Amino acid sequence: MPVDREHILPQLHYGMDHDHYDWNPLNESRAVLKWPNDARLAVCVIVNQEQMEWAQPEDGYRSPTLASGPGPYPDITAWSGREYGHRVGIFRLLDVLDKHGVKPTVAMDTLTAENYPWLVKHHVDRGDEIIGHGISLSRMITSRMSEQEERDYISYCLDSLNNITGSRPAGWLGPEFGESVRTPQLLGEAGVRYVCDWTNDDQPFPMKTPQGELYALPVNMPLDDVSALVDRCLGMDKYVQIIKDSFDVLYEEGAQNGRLLVLNLHPFLIGQAFRVKGLDEAIDYITHRDGVWVATGSEIIDWYRNNPPAA
Amino acid sequence: MALAPDRIDYSPIIERPKIKWPNNARVAFWVAPNIEHYEYLPAVDGVRNPWPRTPHPDVQNYSLHEYGNRVGVWRLMEVLDRHNIKCSTTLSVGVLEHFPQIAEAMLKRDWIFVNHGFYNTRYVTTYDEEQEREFLLACRENFKRLSGMEFKGQSGPAASNTDRTPDLLAETGFIYQTDWKFDDQPVPIKVRSGKLVCVPYTAELNDARLLRLSYESDYHADIVKAQFDQLYEEGAENGKTLCIAYHPLMTGRPHRIKHMDRVLDYIMSHDGVWQATTDEIAEYYMANCYDDAVAYAQSLNQ
Repeated sequence: MPVDREHILPQLHYGMDHDHYDWNPLNESRAVLKWPNDARLAVCVIVNQEQMEWAQPEDGYRSPTLASGPGPYPDITAWSGREYGHRVGIFRLLDVLDKHGVKPTVAMDTLTAENYPWLVKHHVDRGDEIIGHGISLSRMITSRMSEQEERDYISYCLDSLNNITGSRPAGWLGPEFGESVRTPQLLGEAGVRYVCDWTNDDQPFPMKTPQGELYALPVNMPLDDVSALVDRCLGMDKYVQIIKDSFDVLYEEGAQNGRLLVLNLHPFLIGQAFRVKGLDEAIDYITHRDGVWVATGSEIIDWYRNNPPAA
Repeated sequence: MALAPDRIDYSPIIERPKIKWPNNARVAFWVAPNIEHYEYLPAVDGVRNPWPRTPHPDVQNYSLHEYGNRVGVWRLMEVLDRHNIKCSTTLSVGVLEHFPQIAEAMLKRDWIFVNHGFYNTRYVTTYDEEQEREFLLACRENFKRLSGMEFKGQSGPAASNTDRTPDLLAETGFIYQTDWKFDDQPVPIKVRSGKLVCVPYTAELNDARLLRLSYESDYHADIVKAQFDQLYEEGAENGKTLCIAYHPLMTGRPHRIKHMDRVLDYIMSHDGVWQATTDEIAEYYMANCYDDAVAYAQSLNQ
């Protein structure tokens, strides 16, 4: 199709090409973020409790790059591979986190919340923080949704988790990081305080929403286990190494201006028996140094709200 | 069957006239940080979709790329400064207007800039001749307005080109492009009128390609070193060019930056390295090598 003049000659202007937050580079000009007890680095581990639906719903959007499929119906390999996380992997992952005193932030989709009561109770009894994670991997949020459909989708998830777990989630991670142009606005409207879909920073930052008060808690994307181990096929030894190397640099930089390391993990992958030793080594490395604050998503965002960076 | 329509003459590197770089340098070494902007809602052209994963926006990919401008670029600059690198920056012109702190930081350094379009999500692929000419002139004009400098070369936005791009580049005041990755030396590109050379960019030593695959920056640094060692040896006889491409969103990540530091340290510790910009390489080649190269290739292909 022929392109129009605007394509050839875009209107250049200052700052971002959307209204969700202000441009704010992370260099010496950025106001200094101080963590509790003058910590250099806040470490947060997000555990994805999610499942794909047995049959892809016609009205749902599934990412064509979704890790491990699915292929033609019924894709037992893909579905059961995910199920391994709920049945086996999660417990190995939690053991490692417990060993190092890490309280996880659990991103739970409603397919999991409504169908795995034992697992939900397990997380609730442990006192894990549970955040919204959409309906299922088979139903990403996208711009195909109408505003009302998306509003309903978000409130359905938040209400469902509220009913099942007894508390309303403070945070949100879209399935497969899916968003429409309205998602931050609708999350703010629904009372969500932080969103993990934006992976563009090594600190939290405020988002601009007409209603509510929303912050971004950016996931470190190259360290996401799906990104590293599935999409890029890094071996576990290399994965452990890049987590340690990330920590070293963020820890050093955090002496001037506090930094954030959000590790986004999936039990079906990282909870495989052969990976647990490496996970243990990595989590050990990033959680025990002086000046490291290991916290949940809402602990980090609450601190950030109450102690905004100062020039 | 057809090859690229009358753009280059075949010219085997072992027999063509040898290149002598200034001060008998063995390797002309250039570093290309890609300073780019990817749009939240890309203007689509119906041919290539930058974010095919989901209906736009693709927040995961958008924010992954934006990491480069918010965070990664500052780490890159620190390392580049440590080794006194004069960069040949592959520049989305829009960055200068959108993100003035990046513009200011680049412009106060001794860098030059290679036109890379307005945004890295707007490809020239579907432009007709008039549109592409207008595009090139507008890039030039906006770059001059925002930097006070002039472009001499182009690296197509996200490597996009048309069949006419070389002709239009020569017509609108460019002396080189970097898109043809077919040689370890500059190569004359035939155009309707005027003169154009290619200063070859790199796909192999490009972090953006490598780090989407199952490699990390330690491997990138290792292959750059190996490439350098080989070219350095060959360059004693016949001057070679070496390009490393860096993207702040890729190499500007905390776990990767030390490998960039290591490899620049290695290369810059050698004598006989001309750490040059693509402007300098193209101008030197035009003045000292172009005529011989063309004459040789023509004699071979008669």
